[in-house]
Amino acid sequence: MMLKSVTRGSARWQTAGMAVVFLAPMLAGRSVAWGLDAHEAARQVDQHLAKEMFGGSEGTPHDPLPRADDQTFLRRATLDLVGHSPSPEEITTFVLDSAPNKRGQAVERLLANPQFGENWARYWRDVIFYRRSEDRALLAAPAAVKMLSDAFNKDPHWDKIARQFITAKGDVREHGATALIMAQMANAEDTTAEISRIFLGIQIQCAQCHNHPTDRWKREQFHELAAFFPRIAVRPLKKGEDRSFEVVSMDRPKGKKDDKKPKRGNLEHHMPDLKHPEQEGKVMKPVFFVTGQHLQTGASDHDRRETIADWITSGRDHWFATAFVNRMWSELVGRGFYEPVDDIGPDRTCSAPHTLDYLAEHFAGEHYNVKWLMRTITATEAYQRQSRTRYEAEQAPFAASCSQRLRGDQLFNSLAEVLELDETLPPDAKGKPRGAFAGPRGQMNQTFGYDPSTRRDEVAGSIPQALFLMNGPALNRALNGRQPSTSLGRLLAETKDDKGVVEDLYLRSVGRDANDGEIKTCLEHVQSVGNRAEAFEDILWALLNSTEFLNRH
Amino acid sequence: MTFHLRHQVDVNLGRGGIVGRRDFLRGITAASLAAGTLSWRDLVALEASQLRKQGMACILLWMQGGPSHFETFSPKPHHANGGETKAISTAVPGIEVSEHYPHVAAMMHEAAIVRSMTSKEGSHPRATYLMHTGYLPTASVKYPSFGAIAAQQLPHGELDLPAFVRIGGNLQNGGGGGILGIEYDPFLMPLAGKLPTNAAPGTDVPRYHRRLDLLGRLEAGAAGATANEEVAEHQKLYQKASKMILSSQMKAFDLDHEPTHVREGYGSGQFGLGCLLARRLVETGITCVEVTLNGWDTHAENFPRTKELAAQVDQPLGYLLTDLKQRGLLDSTLVVWMGEFGRTPKINPRAGRDHYPKAFNVLLAGGGVRGGQVIGKTDAGGGEVADRPVLVADLFQTFCKSLHINPAAENIAPNGRPIKIVDGGHPVSELFA
Repeated sequence: MMLKSVTRGSARWQTAGMAVVFLAPMLAGRSVAWGLDAHEAARQVDQHLAKEMFGGSEGTPHDPLPRADDQTFLRRATLDLVGHSPSPEEITTFVLDSAPNKRGQAVERLLANPQFGENWARYWRDVIFYRRSEDRALLAAPAAVKMLSDAFNKDPHWDKIARQFITAKGDVREHGATALIMAQMANAEDTTAEISRIFLGIQIQCAQCHNHPTDRWKREQFHELAAFFPRIAVRPLKKGEDRSFEVVSMDRPKGKKDDKKPKRGNLEHHMPDLKHPEQEGKVMKPVFFVTGQHLQTGASDHDRRETIADWITSGRDHWFATAFVNRMWSELVGRGFYEPVDDIGPDRTCSAPHTLDYLAEHFAGEHYNVKWLMRTITATEAYQRQSRTRYEAEQAPFAASCSQRLRGDQLFNSLAEVLELDETLPPDAKGKPRGAFAGPRGQMNQTFGYDPSTRRDEVAGSIPQALFLMNGPALNRALNGRQPSTSLGRLLAETKDDKGVVEDLYLRSVGRDANDGEIKTCLEHVQSVGNRAEAFEDILWALLNSTEFLNRH
Repeated sequence: MTFHLRHQVDVNLGRGGIVGRRDFLRGITAASLAAGTLSWRDLVALEASQLRKQGMACILLWMQGGPSHFETFSPKPHHANGGETKAISTAVPGIEVSEHYPHVAAMMHEAAIVRSMTSKEGSHPRATYLMHTGYLPTASVKYPSFGAIAAQQLPHGELDLPAFVRIGGNLQNGGGGGILGIEYDPFLMPLAGKLPTNAAPGTDVPRYHRRLDLLGRLEAGAAGATANEEVAEHQKLYQKASKMILSSQMKAFDLDHEPTHVREGYGSGQFGLGCLLARRLVETGITCVEVTLNGWDTHAENFPRTKELAAQVDQPLGYLLTDLKQRGLLDSTLVVWMGEFGRTPKINPRAGRDHYPKAFNVLLAGGGVRGGQVIGKTDAGGGEVADRPVLVADLFQTFCKSLHINPAAENIAPNGRPIKIVDGGHPVSELFA
């Protein structure tokens, strides 16, 4: 498997033109061993972390927590990698498995599951579309999920994915990679800001209007980066009854030059003169602020975007690898080296710089193989520790796993799993697939979704969320214990032993055994209610409304 | 003691006083006075500005699509651009409005028309965002909708309901809490006249309590030492949500409590029901209610369509002002009628009008706005602002002035950038003169 990925990667670099020039010396200089075993890498990561974070003598408050138990690990890894909670059967099999490396094997199974791609595709859909400038940009969301899903499952190389987003063209309903540009309606400055934020983790747009007091980036540098994108455009597209949009290159002036609208028809990016905003401003040469590499004005849209894609993903600057590693680490371990995840860079504080450097360097060496990174991070002790909430701020970072609120899709999948619901949505009347917020999943995402780039301690629960879970009519119908068509109805019919039902419900919903106190509370509840079905409806309702169910620990 | 306080507060509140709307004095007890170091006279003076704010509320009637100024509040019957729309006189001599607004005309002494609004945004999403937030959309900062700002900035009394409610519209561009967080997102009411989504307990009330109680006991047991804060937050949220749906204030959503003559006053249309609900919610203590009417994007068949839309808006808007006035709520409630832009002076070949941000209308009433006046004007053809241009920032400054919100107050975006409630502009002070 490793060998295959190396071969594939090499072939790519030979055909990638300019990239070869920049990549070769970097790799020679760094002498990264390709095909590094993920478990060996994980061991190294833990050693780096131990040096950087837990250097004190034993018994200090900085001591990391011990490993989480098998059930916690499985629920965590299943939610993280494939986006739903594990079934009772999966949990039981996993716990009984005596193989020494069963955690690694479980991760392999999850990485090979097609839901892996779908889960992370939806994550990146949210990263992109929570910052959309207009709602109609959501038209591009279904194609983006499909494109990302395929990429993460079959060819999970982040550099290739980034390149597709930066160079995308075509109908936004068919070419999912147009999502990022469509989300900003091809506005050059907003697209620039998003490309820098998402792929480099650098918020260079803070320098759009003025030189930032605490950042090194100058106003010119933002506008020089924007100068790679003055020729992108979004155009309405009408195919029969369907309305869509396409991302196009505008290499010829559009319409007449209009003195009242100086921006119209411009093929170059202009930095506005702050004292005379009504004027055209200064023509900017495309320059990549990280490396200083530049193009001449007059270059075609194709050349500009291919070139900046090369430079961003070439690995010569390490922010591309660092930004992705930092974000994935933050999602998996629950806390980033830099926070928030999309505001990193030379003027920000990093919790464990050597650990992050080590991971970023090897991720680049593995051709930005996303599955390699997931395999490595999930194999670390840092990932596998018991969890804490983020409220315990006095603790050293990474001494524990941090609990994370489930995203809308994860919650929907988990509810569907527990209640054995069928999600399949019929296509709409015209036979088209449903949009981003259609159907029960869409409703769930509207109610429970959040921008994944937000610091997690800023993501709060809302009243509509509570009302949805407590009172949602569809949800309450699905936990009816008197119907043989529901999962609870079947469970009650098959299991006569009340304690067995309690145990099963806990396993199903929160992925662990109920403790003695919980069993006692539940059995007392069954007795006091006096109606078995009703009592268990209450118990399942309480479990689905619990903090534990809504979070991954 | 309490009697004296009330007296003093009445005096300090002056013309904008709204005593009687809520129990303002709940927070000022003899005990808190005794504990404080201020003299009670100082304290009352201090509280008065808070109290003046506390009474304030805002109703936004949002005309999605961009209403034609020619067919609403700037008719031009003597110019070819005016088309077939005639003008009628109003309760205020010298002010004319479109013939399709007789109810608004009758209430003209309570309302002011700004005829010189001007902006540069002619696309629906961007202009909708601008008119809701006062800012243009950017990828880096999600600006909050003005309703969210009002909910955040204006203190309210004992309120079990969300402070910002949107009726009839979905979450749109710039319509949410933005950087203020989902706490300030509007509570959505798809249809006035029904209970809010998921607000009816899934079971009878005793069983609902039984379930909550079980949840509480299981959470206490399962939490262990590691998740206490998380569980506490969660429990707090559930208490808040439960308090809301079991609150007697939920009656505000139930329009059946209204006497027939009032219901008839608002008319039978969905928008009228929305206006009635907005009045009930404000009366209950909600800070901001937005009621949406779709359909103003009249690129074709402009005249019959705007006439039909007027039939949905005129009576409810006129009666809303009457109703608020009669209940003594108008002084403390700013009512705003607006859309994202105006429509082109030239009538296009499909008898429609296209997007036109260069000149458009906003109607304001209540909240200290002196009615019976017109601000600014357009030229004879309705295409150019001829006098006293009002920018979007000026309009938002005006909202702040009406509601006693400090426009220079700052919220901090997640990227650390301070964001002013309104950036630039000056309030249209004539409105308050």
